[in-house]
Amino acid sequence: MRKIDISEKISNAAYIPIAIIAAIFMIIPVYILFITSFAVPSDILKPHPDFFITRFTLDHWKDVFLSGNIWPPFKKSFVVATMTTIIAIIIAAPAAYVIARMPSKVKYAVVLSLFFTRMFPDVGIALPIAVQFIKLNLMDTYLGLVMAHLIVNLPFAAWILVGTFETIPKDLEEAALVDGTSKLTALMRIIMPIALPGIAVTAIFVWLNSWNEFTYALYLTISDRTLPLQTYYYVQRGGIFDSATYAAILTIPVMLVTFFLQKYMKSGYLAGAVKG
Amino acid sequence: MAYVNFVKKYKLEIAMVLPLLLYILGFTVYPIIQTITLSFQDQYTKAFTLANYKEIIGKTEFKNAFFNTIALTFISLTLEMTAGLVIALILKRNFKGKGLLRSLMLVPMGVPTLVSGVAMTYIFGLYGYFNALLQKLHIIEMPIDWASGGLKTLLMVSVADMWKVTPIVILLLLAGLESIPDEVYEASNIDGATAWQTFKYVTLPLLKPSITMALILRAIDAFRIFELVLVLAGRATPVISTFAYDEYNNYANAYTSAAASTILLLIITVFIVGYLKIAGTKEEQ
Repeated sequence: MRKIDISEKISNAAYIPIAIIAAIFMIIPVYILFITSFAVPSDILKPHPDFFITRFTLDHWKDVFLSGNIWPPFKKSFVVATMTTIIAIIIAAPAAYVIARMPSKVKYAVVLSLFFTRMFPDVGIALPIAVQFIKLNLMDTYLGLVMAHLIVNLPFAAWILVGTFETIPKDLEEAALVDGTSKLTALMRIIMPIALPGIAVTAIFVWLNSWNEFTYALYLTISDRTLPLQTYYYVQRGGIFDSATYAAILTIPVMLVTFFLQKYMKSGYLAGAVKG
Repeated sequence: MAYVNFVKKYKLEIAMVLPLLLYILGFTVYPIIQTITLSFQDQYTKAFTLANYKEIIGKTEFKNAFFNTIALTFISLTLEMTAGLVIALILKRNFKGKGLLRSLMLVPMGVPTLVSGVAMTYIFGLYGYFNALLQKLHIIEMPIDWASGGLKTLLMVSVADMWKVTPIVILLLLAGLESIPDEVYEASNIDGATAWQTFKYVTLPLLKPSITMALILRAIDAFRIFELVLVLAGRATPVISTFAYDEYNNYANAYTSAAASTILLLIITVFIVGYLKIAGTKEEQ
């Protein structure tokens, strides 16, 4: 008979309470953010703000949408994220395919160096780029920001896609080559369609990364803010209902996508997806 | 000749990899070299100098930023790895509501870092929810100003960071736990090992690669922490990233900003190399 020690007793007794506490801890900040955006000011702006609000108002949302201040940042964030995604996939997908087919030692080294591009501080990369962009008149432009967002997202997309292409058996394309198809046709007709779901998931992650991105946007923006910068602007001004509403708007697409892509949230993807 | 043949044989492959390679060289490696170069340049004569380093090292803000960065990384990593491991072990069990718990654990991943900072300002504000709770429980009389600097501000930022990234640590460690074959546990069961012994001599050693991975990933991001500090702590509690931003943005000094970034890069490199060395030598013994 196996001995039951104290640590087993503790963990058997404690795991459910710990799980519940952890779950509450994970929910509370999001809950508070959303209730703040719907709260009547007098319920929140007092020494002991209400945790359970009973009165709801759409005023803050109306203010944000009717003021018109939201549309230019929304458009900029949306267009930049979409352009970044398209270009990132066009550049990263072919490269990832080649990397996936390299001999395993070389592949390992390449994947590792892709990973280590992350160790460079963003502020160190953004600085010379900002200095350069001022000279080239690229500040505040969509193009400039797309170029900056590719810095983070190209290695990230390539990293995830190498994993996708690795799972596609080599025999498939070899069979096609034997039949006399060219390499390029084999790739476009056979490999890419199979890899499409993986590419789609990668694209969504890239889109979200760009949608949320803050540091490069901060360095490369003078007046045309993105949605995260607009949120930060209201945080600095101390408008808590504006900042809560903007933050909520920024969060909704990310939340929805994360919820529906839960099953893809595996460690392989995450290794690169750690940036929020 | 061999080189030419290689290019000829693999011209399609080379064409496919080249754009990625050039982009990384042009937009990551080159800017980093520029930053390092700038950090050693005189502002006016462009001659080699150590003045930028001397200037920032003489500043109290930089000393604070340096200390805060290290302390913050240490506190955050301790909190995140502990919480991540505990919750991953819980999720390895079978119980009712496990699926729900797993989904709830992923909620912070669906929240942008900046937004998590915004939400935390409502919780840790002077009249925020946390102070209100502490007052209701009669732990404190007067509200605490969490953003006023010192250890309490570091703790606040660490909790915010922990909230945002623990899900990732959980998933990385859970993947590691799930890759440990059941037979190993059966064997240790048959040998009569207690739960603690099994954890210490079976689970932990087999989980080590995942722990290393999670730790390095998290350490890199914790050293580079930027927007959370900017939103939560402002300029009262700088870290190296926000210090570098301040130097460039508020003092228009790209040279000292570059010096701060270079020091940050050095810290990260030293950490990774050091950690891998220590983890490596332990393995050999």
